[in-house]
This record gives sequence, structure tokens and C-alpha cells, in this order.
Amino acid sequence: MAKETFKVLICDDSILVRKKLKEALSALASFEFLEAGDGQTAIDVYKKERPDLVFMDLVIPVKDGITAVKEIKEFDNDALVVIASSSGTQENLKKAIKAGAVEFIQKPWEQEQLSNVVKKFLKKGE
Amino acid sequence: MFTQYFGNYLLNKGYLTAEQLHDALEEIKDARLKLGVLAVNAGYMTAEQTEEVNEAQKKYDKRFGELAIEMGYLTEEQLKELLSSQKYGHLLLSQVLVDKGIMTLSEFEKAINEYKRDYSISDKEFEAIQSDDVNEIINIFIKFEGSKNEKLLKDYIALFARNLIRFIDRDAVIKEVSKLEVYDCQFAAKQDISGAIVLTTYIEADENAFIQFASKYAEEELSSVDEMAEASVGEFLNLHNGIFLVNLSNQGIELKMTPQEVFKDIKVEKLFKVSAELSFGCVNILIQEH
Repeated sequence: MAKETFKVLICDDSILVRKKLKEALSALASFEFLEAGDGQTAIDVYKKERPDLVFMDLVIPVKDGITAVKEIKEFDNDALVVIASSSGTQENLKKAIKAGAVEFIQKPWEQEQLSNVVKKFLKKGE
Repeated sequence: MFTQYFGNYLLNKGYLTAEQLHDALEEIKDARLKLGVLAVNAGYMTAEQTEEVNEAQKKYDKRFGELAIEMGYLTEEQLKELLSSQKYGHLLLSQVLVDKGIMTLSEFEKAINEYKRDYSISDKEFEAIQSDDVNEIINIFIKFEGSKNEKLLKDYIALFARNLIRFIDRDAVIKEVSKLEVYDCQFAAKQDISGAIVLTTYIEADENAFIQFASKYAEEELSSVDEMAEASVGEFLNLHNGIFLVNLSNQGIELKMTPQEVFKDIKVEKLFKVSAELSFGCVNILIQEH
């Protein structure tokens, strides 16, 4: 059986975080990566590419992560958006859930957290 | 971290030279900690008593601990406790200095007592700082004179120290705090924090230290202040501030922060500058209270 490839959008204003996340995810499955450095670009890329999963930072330029999640969910209610942020405050957790994010990963992430996300939302049958 | 603080204290008090301190710090990994230094540090024996036991050892073929008990200077419980106690860095440093003849045991005893007195450190606090309890070290040594949020800023710096040790350099040492009217930054990552408390925070360094810092956090060799180096230092600041905000959020204080930015050659006014000494150079954290 051909290996399944998942399309993942990583939205973070840090090129380092995007690189690290791509490296970490690549160890778990086969991915096609899409990238965005701000909230508006993430919305635009999502609409065009309809990725299987989105990793979204919260504190990002142009449009913040919560606004981006809301707009992505308005466009596609089935969108799977995981927040990956260093600022997992009570307020941000509440806002993220309300906006429709399916998971919140506090940076610095553990590989196991990413593995759980991949299993839960992408490799569902395994 | 306390090893460096104690070493610098000995240096400032004239017990040794900078070169002797540097050499001794290099040698502490090979040092064999002896009971005399441990007993004096614990306050169980005086330096004079340890000398007496050392002299007695020349006449009798007995161990130091055994003789110290026979001479009534230590109890069996105290000996047991000392033998199982941790080999704290400042004690290894002191042992090297004693072994090299740079400092006598009496001078070590004097220095330890002066140290506790100069910083008004209780025995309990001393126990915490010698085991490198970062919160306690920052609480005792770092002061934000005139700040309206001193406790908060101390927590901020204690967290910064822990993050430096965790991600950048396990031998990181937080040095002095300066209150400045103006400071000329070389390379600086900046992030604003707002809410009930409003701060602007920076990580600042010269070009070389900025690149080294970025390389450590990115876990790759960087050679210039390029996009990756800026992203690396910026993300460290973002991570640090994010964890700080989470800690405050757990205490019921909700703050927000802006995306981090990196600048070159900017002037920052009315600030606290906290210097951190790392193996590759000095990095500053700058805090403006608004």
C-alpha cells in the first residue's frame, strides 16, 4: 500500500519554529508542508490548499492566531487546527477552544505531544 | 550558579586573583572533597579543630572522621551526614584553593562566615543557595531598586535564569542589575507585555554573543545575524515570556504579549539591565516598566 502523505500548514512567525516543527513531524509520518508567517497568510493558504491539519501559533503579526482560527473555521467548519504556542494562559486556552481549535500544545513541545496529535487527527485507524 | 557567586565574592574580597579563580574553576571537576572543608562549611568544626585532627592523623593511623569523633569534635550522626552530603560546587572550589595553598582552611571558614553576614543569609537560606536553588539565589542577590513590581521582576529573572540553564548554557550566571537612564543596544530581540502590568522586554548582546546565543537555541551553527539567528533569539524571548505569562495566569493575572521583533543599534531609555554571563560571552535582559 502506498504511504499516505498528509498536507500540514504550519503558521508561526518564527522561521526556526517552522523548521523545528517540520523536522519533528517528519519523524512521525509523511507530510507535505505549507508555511505561513502571519495569521492572514495562514487563512489565505488554508483556503487555497485545504490542508489536513494546521499548527497555529497565537502571537503572530497581521492577524493573531485566534482570529485566524475563527476565520479558517468559518470557511471550513471541519478544519483541524492545533494551537502550538508558548502562551498557554487560561485566557488563551478558553479563546482557542471557543474559536474551534482541537488541541493546545504548550511550547516547548515534547515529541510525544506531536505524536499524539498525529495519531489522533491524522493516522486515526492506527 | 552559586559556585561562580562564591568565587567572585572571594575575588572581590582579595582572597585570590582572577587568574587563580579561573584556574581553580577549571579544576573543580577533578577535586576530591575532604571532610575538613565539609565540616567547616556545615559549622560542625572550626578550621582550628580540623588542623588539630590533621596533626593527630600524622601520629595515629586513623581516618579523619574517626579521629574527629574520638577528639569530641564530631558526633557519629554528623559524620554520617557529612559523608552522604552533596558535593556542592563552591565546596569543590574551596577544596581546590586549599589544596593549591591559595587559601587556608581558616580563610575559608572566615570567608563563609563573612559571606553569610554580608548578605544576611540564614542557615536555611544558605542551604538553599548552595544547592543552586535559583529562586533563592535571585531573591537574595538581585535587587530592582525603585521598581513598583520588584517581586514580579525577581520572578521574571529567576525564570530567565532557569530557561538560560535549560536551553542555552548550564553554567549561566545572572550578574548585576543596573538601573539606567539610557542604554545603546547592539543586537536586540524585543517583546511587549501588557495588561495589569506593562513591560517592554529585550534580550540584547553584541554581535558575537548574539550569534552564539542563537546557535545554542537553534541547535545549529550560525555564523552571522541572519534571519535564522534573529528568529532564534526572538523565539527564546517569546518562549520565556510565554511561560512567564502562563505562570502569572495560573495566579489569576492575565497578560498579553506582542509578536517579537529584532533590532540593531537602538537606544532604550529608563530601564533595568540584568547581565547574564555565559560561557561564550555576556547577554543582557533589559526591562522597561511603563
